[in-house]
Amino acid sequence: MKKPDPRVIFALVFATSTFAILIRENLAQMAGLFALVLACAALLRVPLKQLFGRLKRLLQILLFVAILRSFFTPSGLVLLAAWGLPLLTTGGLSMGILVALRLLVFIVGASIFTIYPTRALIQAMVQLRLPYEIAYMVSIGIRFVPQMAQELRDSLIALQLRGIVIEELKLKKRISLYSYLLLPTIVGGLRHAKELAMSMEMRAFRAKPSRTSFFSLKLSSKDVILLILIAVAAIAGGFIL
Amino acid sequence: MMRFENVKFKYPTNSDFELIIDNFEPKGCTAILGENASGKTTLGKLAAGILRPSSGAVYYHGEDIAGWKLGKIGRHVGYLFQEPSRQIFAPKPLEEIALPLELRGMPKEEARELALALLQEFELENIVNSTTFTLSRGEKQRLAIAAAMVMKPRFFVLDEPTTGLDKPRRQILAKTLKKMQADGMEILIISHDRDFVEIMGADIRRMEGGRLLDEKA
Repeated sequence: MKKPDPRVIFALVFATSTFAILIRENLAQMAGLFALVLACAALLRVPLKQLFGRLKRLLQILLFVAILRSFFTPSGLVLLAAWGLPLLTTGGLSMGILVALRLLVFIVGASIFTIYPTRALIQAMVQLRLPYEIAYMVSIGIRFVPQMAQELRDSLIALQLRGIVIEELKLKKRISLYSYLLLPTIVGGLRHAKELAMSMEMRAFRAKPSRTSFFSLKLSSKDVILLILIAVAAIAGGFIL
Repeated sequence: MMRFENVKFKYPTNSDFELIIDNFEPKGCTAILGENASGKTTLGKLAAGILRPSSGAVYYHGEDIAGWKLGKIGRHVGYLFQEPSRQIFAPKPLEEIALPLELRGMPKEEARELALALLQEFELENIVNSTTFTLSRGEKQRLAIAAAMVMKPRFFVLDEPTTGLDKPRRQILAKTLKKMQADGMEILIISHDRDFVEIMGADIRRMEGGRLLDEKA
């Protein structure tokens, strides 16, 4: 299947993310929205298995957030109580699941962009009238994420190789340790950004006020139909909400 | 002390490369030379437990380290990354050395005294008040070695330790490593720098395409 124009995906992700924010209490609607985003990602051959594999730790955090949220939203039937106080209710549980699904809509939606080369994404942003500098910065920012993740992993490995079994540390010490590990990653990121900026200046980035591009994106008739479908679905969704 | 037995390793993201080592037992000071992407760093990371073999085993004092947590391996094996700034995380040199000791329950004052002594041993007392992120490459490297030494490892893996070092700095590094070796530590050097490993008097082995060649290089 030919990939749609990246601008179609921008419209799709913008619409689904907006609805994910607008749906506040209805779990069925959020589940439907998540199923829709998941189906779109699967149709576009996003490697979902790999994505969820990488997100294992984040999924644990999502579960924690969902449980925490469920404790702070007492409504409906009481499922768990202590000393007469409701700890977990059906309303709270439903709210916790809704929060987790909302975050998953954002994550799976954003993962669809990974099927496009960076150049196509920059061009899509430029053709959507976003200034080239901003579009380029966004693409560089995305490129830096795996590098920063690697640096963080290296710091963690280096620390463990100094005889620290992290699992054996008390929670307070563990938190202070992670705050230490973030520091070199942030410093490294800033240093990379500075060096990259200098390198770009050396190569006359922005030497001329406007840029031309040999590569340009063209919307096909299928893309236009998809855009219309997204717009119609968004309007219909607005009425339902 | 360290022994590789029928070790095979493949990266999940690179099916073209496979490291195969039938039997390897580095002793004293051993150096691995080889071209880029020949598997030298992979071998070093397997020795330090950062990577785990797909099959076969790496033994430390006769015990398979597969089930050991990295923290436990770190109490016996030190590792110097190719890029020392990747393993320095504290903003001050003293903290860099003392923090792991404090995390392991040593009183703060005692840990700091030990760290200061180690900084003096590595001729780094002049940078005690500096910020680690602004140190030169040579200083960062010595600090990284000093920090790794605080756990008194008996086996030390150094990945490209001479990259970016000038001749006098290389000599200082060689002197430090020889002293460590004289104190009973076994050293595995991964390098391109034949001159340096010859100065170290290392047993030189060559790697090619993920295989450790039989003949001495």
